[in-house]
Amino acid sequence: MAIRPAEKHSALLALTSSALLLPAYQAARADAPPEFVELGVRYSKYEEDNTQGSKTFGGSSQRYEVDAAQFHLLAPVADNWAVAVDVQWEDMSGASPWFVGESLDGGPKVIMSGASIEDTRTEVSVTTRYYYERGNAGLNYVRSDEDDYDSNAVAVDGSFNSADGMTTYSAAISYSDDNIEPTQGSVPTNTLKADKDISSVFLGVSRIVSKNAIVRFGLSYTYRDGFLTDPYKFHDKRPGERNEWAVNTGYRQYFPWPNGALQADYRYFDDDWGVASHTLNLAWHQNLGHSTQVIPFLRYYSQGEADFFANIADLDQRYFADDYRLSSFGAVSAGLRVRYEMGNWAITAVGERYETDKSWGVYSGEESPALVDYWRYSFGLDYIFK
Amino acid sequence: MSTVKPLTYLIVMLCLCACETVQPWERGTLAKPEMQWQTDPMEISLQAQINASKEASSGGMGAAGGGCGCN
Repeated sequence: MAIRPAEKHSALLALTSSALLLPAYQAARADAPPEFVELGVRYSKYEEDNTQGSKTFGGSSQRYEVDAAQFHLLAPVADNWAVAVDVQWEDMSGASPWFVGESLDGGPKVIMSGASIEDTRTEVSVTTRYYYERGNAGLNYVRSDEDDYDSNAVAVDGSFNSADGMTTYSAAISYSDDNIEPTQGSVPTNTLKADKDISSVFLGVSRIVSKNAIVRFGLSYTYRDGFLTDPYKFHDKRPGERNEWAVNTGYRQYFPWPNGALQADYRYFDDDWGVASHTLNLAWHQNLGHSTQVIPFLRYYSQGEADFFANIADLDQRYFADDYRLSSFGAVSAGLRVRYEMGNWAITAVGERYETDKSWGVYSGEESPALVDYWRYSFGLDYIFK
Repeated sequence: MSTVKPLTYLIVMLCLCACETVQPWERGTLAKPEMQWQTDPMEISLQAQINASKEASSGGMGAAGGGCGCN
């Protein structure tokens, strides 16, 4: 990583940063392996708004920018087997909140990391999947690498259809071994070397409702154990364990006219740090002829703050954090995805805007001065060998 | 969690009760890309990663997998 150590204090961590490494091609009712080899590449640009001068010591400051490239390969390897390989590269730069202090008028203001951070991440995911008469089973391995963070994760999942094929039961279990070694510099870090484990289990069921509708329901439990503090945040000390539960429901409804589908998903999240959240995803998938799909999407998110969150951290407490990601806030994101197919080729373009505001949330708590807004754009190309 | 559990169970039970039997040859629409839970794996993966690195919650649609240093 080509950065000055002192500047890198947030090129990392986050108790919140689980990459949701699902098997890369887990289909809703996939009872047969893919027929053809599929290849995909994607480039994405992620750009956070500058911090507002009124909320920052030292005036407006630039925040993160990330360039991400993705590669996806899905291939049948035998009658009942398939393999998927996913690779993601990220290059990030910018500054992030370091800590929150009290201004002369008594209000909280954020101190940014200052100089530019440079960091890269590479993630490789390999999944093999076996298809049997009434379902499939997958084995997934993921390796994620940064200079100061690495992760090795294994997941096993399976699904099983009822005799009439109306209901699909699914389950997954995963384990991850993560290592943190913060880059040392002029800013002290909260550890020199640490690790954490993430264990997770999921149970789900999906059910055909009609010829045009399907519904699903899932429960997940995740246990994090180890160093969950952000090593680069100045005022940050978190418990060494975290128990998380999530309930997820989803619904898909196809409408013959206007040849489109409603996609709706809801998640409720709860943990033993005091965080709870509601997430609602809505998308409308509109087909235009046989080759074009236009998909506007909307997401609403609201979370309640962690028990130990405070803008002005009380360092005498056992645990404390002023990280905006542990505060109460609401977020709305809206975007548009367009896909155009030409023979074996397909082009995808996505644009998304994400904005946060304390008043949009349903939970009470302090408003963090460091909430983030961002733009994200993606462009992709897919090819199917048939 | 306590307020959501009954509601979720109610929704699921209603759906299970309301289902009509759909024969295998009537499931063509359900196989369309827009009826899948994940229509675009790369898009889903990227969105999930960004959200998990900017918010305090993650997961819910499968086992959690590994972490990253994403800030």
